[in-house]
Amino acid sequence: MSQIDENQILDRLKRLSQVEPGQETTDHAVQRVRDTLIANKGCRVGLAPPSLIGRLMKLAAAAVLMIGAGFIGGRLSAPEPVNVQELQAALENSLKSSLVPAIRQELISQIDGRWQSTLAASHAQVKDELARQVRRDLTEFAAQTLAASGTRTEQRLMELIQLIEAARVQDRQRMASAFDYIESRFGNGLVTLAARTDELLDAERVGSAPDISEN
Amino acid sequence: MSNRQKELLELLDKSGADLYALLTKLTLREDVAEELMQELFIKLNNSRGAGNVANLDAYARKSAINLAFDWRRSRKRAVLATRQFDEPVSNDDSPLRKLIHSEEMQETLDAVGRLKKSSREVLVMRYLQQESYDDIAEQLGKTSHQVRALCSRAIRSLRDVLGSNDHQSSKEIHNVANR
Repeated sequence: MSQIDENQILDRLKRLSQVEPGQETTDHAVQRVRDTLIANKGCRVGLAPPSLIGRLMKLAAAAVLMIGAGFIGGRLSAPEPVNVQELQAALENSLKSSLVPAIRQELISQIDGRWQSTLAASHAQVKDELARQVRRDLTEFAAQTLAASGTRTEQRLMELIQLIEAARVQDRQRMASAFDYIESRFGNGLVTLAARTDELLDAERVGSAPDISEN
Repeated sequence: MSNRQKELLELLDKSGADLYALLTKLTLREDVAEELMQELFIKLNNSRGAGNVANLDAYARKSAINLAFDWRRSRKRAVLATRQFDEPVSNDDSPLRKLIHSEEMQETLDAVGRLKKSSREVLVMRYLQQESYDDIAEQLGKTSHQVRALCSRAIRSLRDVLGSNDHQSSKEIHNVANR
């Protein structure tokens, strides 16, 4: 795995050891550090750490200073005695500006609530009433429809009967005319045919009857 | 002026240039070395632990090494994100040679930064600052033999790290060539 030998590593390290900064930059860097160290004198943590009592004393002094500053600030910023009328007017305006929108909002919400409850109560009643009305209308409409359809059906049946009767009368008339025509054309021939047929039937009847006299 | 500041000013007079050179070798950038030098002395000034050390010079050197490699690690993250290259530091005039040397030195320093802290310190003191084994042993509170063994181990570790880097680089080059 290792493709680099020790000599190459030493060579690289030697080259690295030969890297040197310029004298000018070195002097500059050292001088800069020196300036920094001198400028920071006395304010570093390197000084002896303060004792616990010293810290507490500092804290107490800071607290006293804070309290004193607060007291003085409060006294200085305390308001002078004000006119009661002005105060009342200012309070009134302030309350108006702050309360009126809130009251208006509250009223709107209460009215909304009442409307909603009232509408919810009457909703079921309106629904029932509407359903009854619709049912009644539907029943009436159905009865009217049935009556009308019955009348129309009866009327149609009557018309059909009349048509059938007329057709039968017409058929009879045609049959009668047909018979009249046949009688006028073939009246004698038919009589002759009937007589001949009658004779033939009689003859057959006689010929086929058993001869009882011979027995 | 406090005693600490006096000590630090003495240290600055005595070893300031060496510390700056050490930081330059480890960062390969003079501007960064200057900033780290500032940071080093400010930390030494603010550190309570530094007041108890017997050898302030050795303590400062170790702190400088740690600062420099901390900077290298943070810089490496930034470089990985932006792929920017620093201006190479080399005495060779050929641009390509300069670039190769610079890359090699950066790679070597990165590999040193990946070693254990003790190996890293020994390696820097011995091979970058060219200090004797005895001096290193005195600074680290070890024997000369221990320092030799540490150096040997550090070189082996460095070789492994650099070898694995080469292996990875050749694999990456191979992958790029295959695309």
